[in-house]
Amino acid sequence: MAVFLQSLISGVLIGGVYALIGIGLTLIFGVMRVVNFGHGDIMMVGMYLTYLLFTLMGVDPFVSVLISFPLMFLFGGFLQKVFINRVLNAVAQNQILLTIGLGLIMSNTVMLIFTSDYKILTTSYSSSTIQAGGGVSISTPLLISFLITAAITAALGWFLMKTDTGQAIRATAQDRDAAQLMGINVSRMSVIAFGLGAALAGTAGALISPTYYIFPQVGGTFTLKAFVITVLGGMGSVVGATLGGILIGVTESMSAVYISSGWKDVVVFVLFLLVLLFKPSGLMGKSRT
Amino acid sequence: MRKHLLALGAAIALSPCLMAQKIGVINSMSGPEAPIGENITNGIKLADEDLKKKGINIQLVWEDDTGKPQISMSAMEKLATRDNVVGVVGPYTSACSNAVAKLAEKYRVPLLIPAAAKEEITRQGLKHVFRMNAPADKYASSLIDAALALGKPKSIAFIYENTDFGTSTTKTAKDYVATKGIQVVADESYPKGAADYRSTLAKVKSKNPDLVFMVSYVADAILLMRQSKEVGLQPQAFLGAGAGFTTAEFAKEKAISENVISCTQWTSDVNWPGAKEFGARYKAKFGKEPTYHAACAYASMMIMAETARNSGGDRVKTRNALKAGKWNGVMGEVQFSDYEGFTNQNNHQMLVQQIIKGDYETVLPAKFATKKAIFPFPKWK
Repeated sequence: MAVFLQSLISGVLIGGVYALIGIGLTLIFGVMRVVNFGHGDIMMVGMYLTYLLFTLMGVDPFVSVLISFPLMFLFGGFLQKVFINRVLNAVAQNQILLTIGLGLIMSNTVMLIFTSDYKILTTSYSSSTIQAGGGVSISTPLLISFLITAAITAALGWFLMKTDTGQAIRATAQDRDAAQLMGINVSRMSVIAFGLGAALAGTAGALISPTYYIFPQVGGTFTLKAFVITVLGGMGSVVGATLGGILIGVTESMSAVYISSGWKDVVVFVLFLLVLLFKPSGLMGKSRT
Repeated sequence: MRKHLLALGAAIALSPCLMAQKIGVINSMSGPEAPIGENITNGIKLADEDLKKKGINIQLVWEDDTGKPQISMSAMEKLATRDNVVGVVGPYTSACSNAVAKLAEKYRVPLLIPAAAKEEITRQGLKHVFRMNAPADKYASSLIDAALALGKPKSIAFIYENTDFGTSTTKTAKDYVATKGIQVVADESYPKGAADYRSTLAKVKSKNPDLVFMVSYVADAILLMRQSKEVGLQPQAFLGAGAGFTTAEFAKEKAISENVISCTQWTSDVNWPGAKEFGARYKAKFGKEPTYHAACAYASMMIMAETARNSGGDRVKTRNALKAGKWNGVMGEVQFSDYEGFTNQNNHQMLVQQIIKGDYETVLPAKFATKKAIFPFPKWK
């Protein structure tokens, strides 16, 4: 029982961080119909930003979110304005090539600056835990990052549902042309959406860095995870991405215990295929026919 | 004028006889293996200094294989045919060493491999290939022997990355524990770079193993130990085989690396003749702690150069002298013998070390130890 609870809890907590990466990707796709293959690399940039702030200025990784969120927002907005905007109406292959290319440039630039060595952030709480009784222990940094993720997701939900800009973003996602006809500045919405997506990915990077390690090619793993999460949850659905993230986290952790840790990726992808087979639009997705 | 030219010509013609004997070095001086290769280069440089002090004047011919087997092979061809070296020390990696070994046999050039781990290299019956370091299977057996010497473990859990390195080391270890009557209670491979090992570790914890045996590189080693602490995995000993558990970065993570047991070919505090002095000299000259590769390379070059000199630069005599000889130096006693299917393999004594107060300390075998091992593993704070 303790093993079950332990793996359920750590699955949910790590799933929260996955969800944050997925939400960024799904937001970008929803508004622009661009699949961002450089998403994991943007997250990697966020990790290095956290690393720099921590080692040079001694800013705590969790506090650094306050700095990295706006910086990554600007970075995302810049990428959208200068690069992505030009391929919005191009064929999908060109968009894919562009985002892959941007990702490669990011990871190789970082490799030139920081070399390909693994970097590990060691904070005073990196390996501290909270005993939850019954032999179950919860990683303190993971719990904090889950709480921050939850707060950010709630704030994002509020922003999208209640504010004018949020409603404009949703309108753009629903129907770009109609939104434009209603007087919404859709190109500005695109910049905001990409900025938000990048900021969320960067934040996820910051949140995971106290418990994980950092290297220039770390993005690839997370790009793949973000895809599975968004497709599973339904492309363009924020709620779906949140659910998808936690579902993947729990599945990974459960299959590591009850099947084998070497097979956990297989279980995740089988689950993914099953969802696609029976609900092709994803868990929360509306089918577009 | 003509006379002068004649004299010059005669001098040039005669010079090979007067000139120092040549010894080739093949090493990974650039490319991805360069950080370790640097240790081998520096070790050989120190050997060169000491040889000069002893009055043994040799000429080193350096070849960089950039970590690629095909380049190391062409380097070997060049050394054997054009430079006419008496013997070769190197290459670093297992892949390069294995490729070069066959060429050494073909050209009948004595080859002394300082630090490549793959067992197969000295298991092919090659007469001209010698190896200084202990091959890979020794890692697993010396760690398990250490645990048996310290306590009475009955069960063991394996956690290892699902790569060639991880699975092959674990397989050797599993075969070995089977002969010692230790029961394998968990066998968990993991994909390299996963963010969360907590569930795997919780599962291992529920089996309550006496020993936890891990095979990982640096970053995963730190993550695994951090998360072991989180879930409260509490065996009698953590045994770290492989690269990740023997680095300065790992030792620096004091909260989680303290008391972890690992093994290595050489340490700078072992009481082998000249080991401490070698460590101190290396640090003074290059500003870094030497890895075991440096000591392996130093000892290999000393032996190769002295043997080549004593054999008058003859390849056959050098080969026979290497086979018959016995040395004692920074790597302890060295003798190239045939055993358990190996040929010309130095049956090197692996050292078992434990991180005590943030430093690697040699704890076993007892006669080389500087500190007493801490066993069982203390309760996590």
